[in-house]
Amino acid sequence: MALEKLRRIDDTKIEVPLDYKPGMGVKGIIYVDDLLEKELETQSIDQVANVATLPGIVGASLAMPDIHTGYGFAIGGVAAFNLKDGIVSPGGVGYDINCGVRLLRSNLKKEIVLPRIKELVNILYNEIPSGVGSKGKIRLSPEDEGRLLIHGARWAVEQGFGDAGDLERIESGGCIDGADPSLISRKAYERGKAQQGTLGSGNHFLEVQYVDEIYDEKAAGSLGLFNDQITVMIHTGSRGFGHQVCTDFLEVMERAVIKYKIELPDKELACAPYESPEAQDYLSAMRAAANYAWANRQCIMHWAKEVFMRIFNISPKELGMTLIYDVAHNIAKIEEHVVNGKKMKLIIHRKGATRAFPPGHPELPEIYRALGQPVLIPGDMGRVSFVLLGTGKAMKETFGSTCHGAGRVMSRHQAIRKAKGRAIWREMEDKGIIVRSAGRETLAEEMSEAYKDVSNVVDVVHSAGISKKIARLRPIGVIKG
Amino acid sequence: MKRFTVLDISGDIGLRAYGESLKDAFISAAIGMYSLITNLDAFKEEKTIDVFTESDSMEGLLVSWLNELIFHFDAYGFIGKRIVITEITPSLSASGGLPPRRGGVGEGEACKLKATISGEDFDPERHERKLLVKAATYHRLRVEKKDDKWEIDVIFDI
Repeated sequence: MALEKLRRIDDTKIEVPLDYKPGMGVKGIIYVDDLLEKELETQSIDQVANVATLPGIVGASLAMPDIHTGYGFAIGGVAAFNLKDGIVSPGGVGYDINCGVRLLRSNLKKEIVLPRIKELVNILYNEIPSGVGSKGKIRLSPEDEGRLLIHGARWAVEQGFGDAGDLERIESGGCIDGADPSLISRKAYERGKAQQGTLGSGNHFLEVQYVDEIYDEKAAGSLGLFNDQITVMIHTGSRGFGHQVCTDFLEVMERAVIKYKIELPDKELACAPYESPEAQDYLSAMRAAANYAWANRQCIMHWAKEVFMRIFNISPKELGMTLIYDVAHNIAKIEEHVVNGKKMKLIIHRKGATRAFPPGHPELPEIYRALGQPVLIPGDMGRVSFVLLGTGKAMKETFGSTCHGAGRVMSRHQAIRKAKGRAIWREMEDKGIIVRSAGRETLAEEMSEAYKDVSNVVDVVHSAGISKKIARLRPIGVIKG
Repeated sequence: MKRFTVLDISGDIGLRAYGESLKDAFISAAIGMYSLITNLDAFKEEKTIDVFTESDSMEGLLVSWLNELIFHFDAYGFIGKRIVITEITPSLSASGGLPPRRGGVGEGEACKLKATISGEDFDPERHERKLLVKAATYHRLRVEKKDDKWEIDVIFDI
């Protein structure tokens, strides 16, 4: 049994050795403690090993503690490939390109918001389009959509959604270079034109939360966080636009695998050599989808802010609702890393993993240069979320990456069955969390029990030193699709 | 005969679809997928769309067929209620099996499908919202003939 070959490296990680599977070019490393190791799915370990067989992989095939089985690549996976003989794979990014999280601070304290939380959640739910089959308030002409794809959150700011100052508080400035709208299919344009400024469904959400624990006073202060403060977290991505880009390019890559004679242990790892036109085209289209997602979160943030101002009848200044940071957790990026003492440009695939750059990293904006990159880790709707900071150790061990969330333990169908006859919204309300959701099944499949406890996940990345716990956020209001 | 059952997989959701013929199984998969998105009972046959899709394998054809339907829903809100597959090639009824995958006889032979679908545009006020299906995937994908009947396994990204 191959599983017996797994070896514990230390308290926070295990090794998937080179002889776990034939063809592995590097070993696999999975960040789990004893507790989370028990929840590891065999299939997800196989996927970590499969990724290790891909051409040009560098360092190790990595997985974060929120690992679970995905398509080809495990969710929670990080894989770095060299630009010379490495590959690019849409499966290493996922369908929801630049699914990510942003966090807003405010000047409000919990006691001001709690008495009106029901009203607040209802209005947020009405103002922010969400759920299956919902259309957004924005209709994009083909020209607008093209500009949005190039400029990302900058486009949204130009349309009056938020401030120019928000942009430096977004990974890649909310706009990744190299997006090419001409590589986007008609279908992707069509799916994208009415979905800008929509939350979507599934695990996507907007949460009203409060800071319920601070682990590092100084760092939390620098981020503008304090105890009992109201925060807003937004988790969504590039919507149907990104799904279509992924669908389109999986077909391209399937043909590329034959053309470039790439041997794959799993068809879903379909990929193309980095320098091939197929890979370059995918990256350009993926960047367009990433920009679509950054604009999306920017628009949603703007509406959320407006709702707060209206309900509490206060000025933007009094509300003080500003962006702390926005991270992507499904993306492929070219980054510079040190491998065996040598600086190298690599194409890093993060699929359900968050960038976690350390203090001093040149890609960080001035405001966070000394502190390190804020990392935002959402939990399930009934538990908590976390703010962390990137570390030097992440640069050394995980190509500057950390976990992205809780990770499911129950299948969606299992969860729906388990929730039968229960009113999940009432159970949540009894816990002090007001939930509004477009779909009844969404609540069932998203219930707490369906997820690992995010606190355990975050404890592992904190103990491993690949990011550092700063604050914990607890939900009081949730809108879901 | 039952058209489909829901398959339980970690993180996402799948279908096992059945059919007396390949055409029939493709229709079952589509109906099953629509049933994951909403409750089909509430839909009328108000408008009709034509769909054409092709691929270089039968599995690929199934994925692209379902993705085509996802596209029509996600971009235009269209949900199909009655599906007629007017053409599926190769029909596979004579050979009784699938065209071999890559590297075998029949490689490069295009698989094509034409269908006419009647249904209605989704209205969140009247129609139930269930799962947001992002795409049909190649994960554990299976299109097989079993004792004269057809069986399909397909997993969706949710």
